[in-house]
Amino acid sequence: MVSIKLDNVSLIYKLHEKLTLSAPDRRLGPTGGKIEGAGRKQFVQALDSVGFELKAGERLGLVGPNGAGKTTLLKVLYGIYEPSGGSVAIEGKVDALFNINIGFRREATGRRNIVLRGLINGWSEAEIEEKMEDIIAFSELGDFIDLPFKAYSQGMAARLAFSVATALDPEILLMDEWIGAGDASFQEKAKRRMDELAEKAGIIVLASHSESLIQSVCTKRLTLKGGRVESLTAVPVKPAEAASASP
Amino acid sequence: MISALNNALDDIFGAMRLRRVWIALAHEDIGDQHRRTTLGPLWLLVNYLAFVGTFVFVFQPAGKDAAGYSAYVAIGLMVWFYLMEVISLSVSLFKREESFIEGTTLPLFVYVMRLTVQSAIRAGYAIAGCIVILLLSGSELTMAWLWSLVGLLLILLATPALITVFAFTGAFFPDSEFIVGNLMRVGMFFTPVFWVYNGKDAIQRYAYQWNPFAYFLDVARIPILSGQFPGNAFAVTGTVALVMWATALLLLGRYRRQIVFLI
Repeated sequence: MVSIKLDNVSLIYKLHEKLTLSAPDRRLGPTGGKIEGAGRKQFVQALDSVGFELKAGERLGLVGPNGAGKTTLLKVLYGIYEPSGGSVAIEGKVDALFNINIGFRREATGRRNIVLRGLINGWSEAEIEEKMEDIIAFSELGDFIDLPFKAYSQGMAARLAFSVATALDPEILLMDEWIGAGDASFQEKAKRRMDELAEKAGIIVLASHSESLIQSVCTKRLTLKGGRVESLTAVPVKPAEAASASP
Repeated sequence: MISALNNALDDIFGAMRLRRVWIALAHEDIGDQHRRTTLGPLWLLVNYLAFVGTFVFVFQPAGKDAAGYSAYVAIGLMVWFYLMEVISLSVSLFKREESFIEGTTLPLFVYVMRLTVQSAIRAGYAIAGCIVILLLSGSELTMAWLWSLVGLLLILLATPALITVFAFTGAFFPDSEFIVGNLMRVGMFFTPVFWVYNGKDAIQRYAYQWNPFAYFLDVARIPILSGQFPGNAFAVTGTVALVMWATALLLLGRYRRQIVFLI
């Protein structure tokens, strides 16, 4: 059964004063959070006692101001950051969309990039071959698929990235807010695919500043502030959706 | 210590399972660097031949065996360029792979192997050029060449460890990118790449005896040039490789999870 359970998760890391010949500065690490300590003993408390549980079919929206810990939490769920305390229990195959361009080569064609992205995702050659035409069709890139990636617009790149990431039906999909960057028709199409994904008993965790995106995609909202959970609430179902859901 | 070793081995075995990733990326890297050029990767061969030609033309000792010196420089530059590239590019490895490290869960050793394969492909062109020069210079193909091949394999085996150690050094000590770059440029003059050790000059003696790179060159050079097995050079190169692997495993096991916070 697909599930995510975080219990009292904290992420604290030392703010490394890198050995350097230049004058010391206050180097900040890749996460937000609170800086504690002084001098050479500074630490960043990026997440503090975060806990929640998600079951199959749930879609969680992460909201909060910049530096609240949304992206950090996604990266803890994905396994990029190892939590300093607490426990993370994840059942299910996780895929993530943090950066559209990761794994995409500017000079390579879209088709070659699908192969490279598939390899990075750990797919076999047979899986890549099997999914190739579906990915191309979903991305609607048409003849552009055989042109270099550098010829693509931001929206086309987003379509290709999303198509690849969701092609193998990840059981848990983690997304940063870039999905809001695509055009309206792509967002609608992406939302339909996410709905399908959730209906197949998957879990989606989406970090975004867009309230409308959270409302249209998510069933729960987790508000983070300074690395702590401020609230965890259900997202009210829109009247139209409620009507269509009722028999 | 045991847990560090297990961590390191997890990372390495994880990377080995994803070998298609680093092989594909390394080929793309080489292809991208020469895309839209007329000669493509053959420029690597042209560059190597141009360097060997220049060194032979400028530094060939008067009255000495010209063909022997060409072979000496050809092997020396082939190994030196490989080592210089591997070490210089390693120091900034994790910085260059920042978006991957911050956006994927690929083992760090994937990036190490990506650079290893890239460097090996480039060296392949130099090796082709070197063989042509050796044959043109009249070097006889003998069984002793096999010892040179073993020497090159030993260097190749040490490469992932060298890359790992210098990559961690670069992550913890960013200035090392420039320090190492300069040292490698200067190091060429303190290593018997194009000058021949005569056993008399004091500076040359120190540069030869206390410079590990000299032994890396000798494992590939002595068997071809003199037909002998360079036991001492193999012992030193092997020891350096072992020390580097032990250090690499320790660094990978202890700090691989810290790199994402450092870059």
